[in-house]
Amino acid sequence: MSETQMQTDLQGGLETAASKDWPGRWSHLYKILDRRGPFADPSFTPDHGDEILLNTCRVLVIGAGGLGCEILKNLALSGFKNIEVIDMDTIDVSNLNRQFLFRPSDVGKPKAKVASEFIMKRVPGVKDDDYYLGFQLIICGLDSVEARRWINATLVNLVDGEPERIRVLVDGGTEGFKGQARVIIPTITSCYECSLDMLGKQRTFPICTIANTPRLPEHCIEWASAIHWPKERPDIKMDTDDPIHIQWLYETALKRAKEFNITGVTYSLTQGVVKNIIPAIASTNAIIAASCCNEAFKLITTSQPYLNNYMMYTGNEGLYTYTFEHQKKPDCPVCGNERVTMEISMEITVEDFIEYLKEKQDIQLKKPSLSHAVTNEKIYWQSPPIFEEKTRPNLERKLLEMVKQGDEITVTDTTLPISLQIVVSYI
Amino acid sequence: MHVDKKTQKYDRQLRLWHASGQTALETAKVCLINGTATGCEILKDLVLPGIGSFTVVDDKIVDGSDVGNTFFLVPDSIGKSRAQAVTEFLQELNEDVKGFHFSENPIALIENQPEYFLQFSIVITTNIPEKPLLKLADTLWNAKIPLVVLRTVGFIGYFRIALPEHTNVPFLSLEQYVKTFNFDTLDSMDHGHIPYVVILLKYLEQWKQDHDGKLPSTSAERNEFKQLIQSGKRNADEENFDEALSSAWRACTVTKVPRQVEEIFKDSSCENITSESSNFWIIVRAIREFVANEGQGLLPLAGSVPDMKAYTSGYVAMQNIYRQKAKEDISIVRAHVHDILTSIGRSVDSISDDEIDSRWLRDSQENIVNYVLIRAMDRFYESHNRYPDAATFFLEDDAEEASEEARSEFSTLKTYVNLLLGEWDITNYPEHLDNHIHEICRAGGSELANIASLLGGMVSQEIIKLITRQYIPINNSIVFDGIRSMSSSYIL
Repeated sequence: MSETQMQTDLQGGLETAASKDWPGRWSHLYKILDRRGPFADPSFTPDHGDEILLNTCRVLVIGAGGLGCEILKNLALSGFKNIEVIDMDTIDVSNLNRQFLFRPSDVGKPKAKVASEFIMKRVPGVKDDDYYLGFQLIICGLDSVEARRWINATLVNLVDGEPERIRVLVDGGTEGFKGQARVIIPTITSCYECSLDMLGKQRTFPICTIANTPRLPEHCIEWASAIHWPKERPDIKMDTDDPIHIQWLYETALKRAKEFNITGVTYSLTQGVVKNIIPAIASTNAIIAASCCNEAFKLITTSQPYLNNYMMYTGNEGLYTYTFEHQKKPDCPVCGNERVTMEISMEITVEDFIEYLKEKQDIQLKKPSLSHAVTNEKIYWQSPPIFEEKTRPNLERKLLEMVKQGDEITVTDTTLPISLQIVVSYI
Repeated sequence: MHVDKKTQKYDRQLRLWHASGQTALETAKVCLINGTATGCEILKDLVLPGIGSFTVVDDKIVDGSDVGNTFFLVPDSIGKSRAQAVTEFLQELNEDVKGFHFSENPIALIENQPEYFLQFSIVITTNIPEKPLLKLADTLWNAKIPLVVLRTVGFIGYFRIALPEHTNVPFLSLEQYVKTFNFDTLDSMDHGHIPYVVILLKYLEQWKQDHDGKLPSTSAERNEFKQLIQSGKRNADEENFDEALSSAWRACTVTKVPRQVEEIFKDSSCENITSESSNFWIIVRAIREFVANEGQGLLPLAGSVPDMKAYTSGYVAMQNIYRQKAKEDISIVRAHVHDILTSIGRSVDSISDDEIDSRWLRDSQENIVNYVLIRAMDRFYESHNRYPDAATFFLEDDAEEASEEARSEFSTLKTYVNLLLGEWDITNYPEHLDNHIHEICRAGGSELANIASLLGGMVSQEIIKLITRQYIPINNSIVFDGIRSMSSSYIL
């Protein structure tokens, strides 16, 4: 489903002339590719790696934003010839401070199209195709946790017990001066889902603070959007991309801030809080994208050992990297095969249990649907509407009434391609 | 409300360094010496966020290999001035930025007209030999202009920032420095940026005044001390106060020599120094003397300051205080070493000052070997006018493939490595040294696009921190190893 969705803006089929090499073009790369190295994999063969390997290697790049632009550039310069890119966004003026394949005249155009055309023009010989199966490697440069969870789970499920179906995922992410690059070999190494609890918890403010004792400008903005908007404009759905809506929120928040003598409410902060904008700069994207491409190059050419399996980068206080092996989680809902045992109160209602699942940092479900694993009895289903309606009364019931001590619950989530087995242990 | 185009364009970065940082960027003039792949990557990451202007100084003519690893060149650029060609493509990235090029030999320029570089706010060099570099460094240092020196080869990169000390910060002892802060009169921004060490000392002083000069010792007292710090917090978001709170236990602990070091001090080799004693034990004995006398029970100060939330200027001032103390301590230790050497009839030169210092700075991380290799490679270049460049590593069954030429390439580079290690008095031979030498020969002075981009990103981040005077810059060198994907920070 995500695939078709993301294919919407897929562009390509723009075959360029056969690669035109000029004297010296690959002289830097050939030093590495034509010579054995003491750290290289023993299987490495010094023989113009790009001809035999990079020419036939197909790489999929997901995301043509800040990371994606950098990734495409680096892959092209590293000798990769078959690169495909997908992105469902169009270009916005706020992309131009880092997404260097775009110019002011491109605003409003699809990212994947403009990016691939630019790369083909600047780096001759790079081909671009409009389908995306049969890749040796997938590189993700996304800012969305959800999209990454989808790709990760899709690649893990793809393996299906057959090692030849393993497709390596190189994933990069940035936020401000920080970022991370990692290599995921589905079913072999830890996967994206295994490390969910490493994501910083989204900054949220207690509702009582927002309602009664605001101290920060953010509290006032939250009040305007979460409390005042539904009260004042119940019929209008808030659109955070609509400048008029943002303006309303800004003015409302500003008024409240004045009431409490709080300074710092600005239009830009209002936008940042309600849209959950993540700061992004060119240099951090360059570092993380280059690290991802360096790993991709090493993986495909075997000219050097590749990252096992996580590099964390922090640049706001000095410069610090931490490279380590992130461990696989045996009970990972995507790549693990162990059931999760959860200790829960005998008093808990189905509704509270669902809330608990959503807030659990290492699972982060969005819309969990629950069934009894043995009897298949529906405990609560989020969709389709007919089942939702039917199971809604269960929300108020105690879980104990439907699931006995030691019973197993199957949890699915329509927003995520995962399925989780939970053994209930009442305390 | 109307949001202007520029604010919209820079929205994602303004959230990090605000209008003040942006103005600083927009008035900065950056100079790049040599428009290499790495150099262009740095400029890309500075042009995009809207640096004032950049100037590329380079007299090279573009060749095929440049176009192969530089995104800001096309096949048609071959045969043209590299300074001009990259400037035109970099300029395209941002219409707010002015780009200049100067097709002049940088080495000649440094030699004949070093004052040319005084017009810039920061100067970046890539691939400049040591000798002209020293002259440039000298010129810029005196003018208080930061210099960034950068090298990449194969999968390895290294950069160093020469940042003149801020003379506007008076040199004070830490105690005096703390007194320069009047917490009550600071505005909320400044209050949120008081270095945590200053916060700790300030409240510790207050505590001692109220408690007959004693430190908080019981757990109840420690909690009381923490509450005292907590009470100074103006709002919940002052991270520097949180840092102070989490380190409060240290301030309550009487600093002592660690037990492991005490053990070493008690070792008979330390007790009985003879003319046969190794340099190591002589230095250990000198430290023991320091602890017993001038150190008043404490080890010499290492001179490094942990990162903390602070203004750059405040942090630098703290570093200076620590470093000055460390320097003083080392010179006392050095005097002890000389006394011991004299007493056992050895010449005072037989242990170099560097060896005494390097014991403090010694870093067990393997990455330093990459720095040694890059410096050795530069020595190689100075005498051969080219980089070591040959296939020197073979698997066992094809070892005979190694040509005479390759063998000599390897051994020449190794000679330079040993020379450097000798000069720096490093006696503990780096592990797997031969493998690292092979790797540099294999790289043959190549510049890989990925490593160029990675190091370029790191350098541009540091330049942004220096120009905006926000966040904490590195001190003072970074070595990145793209084989193992690891970086290390050194004071070199």
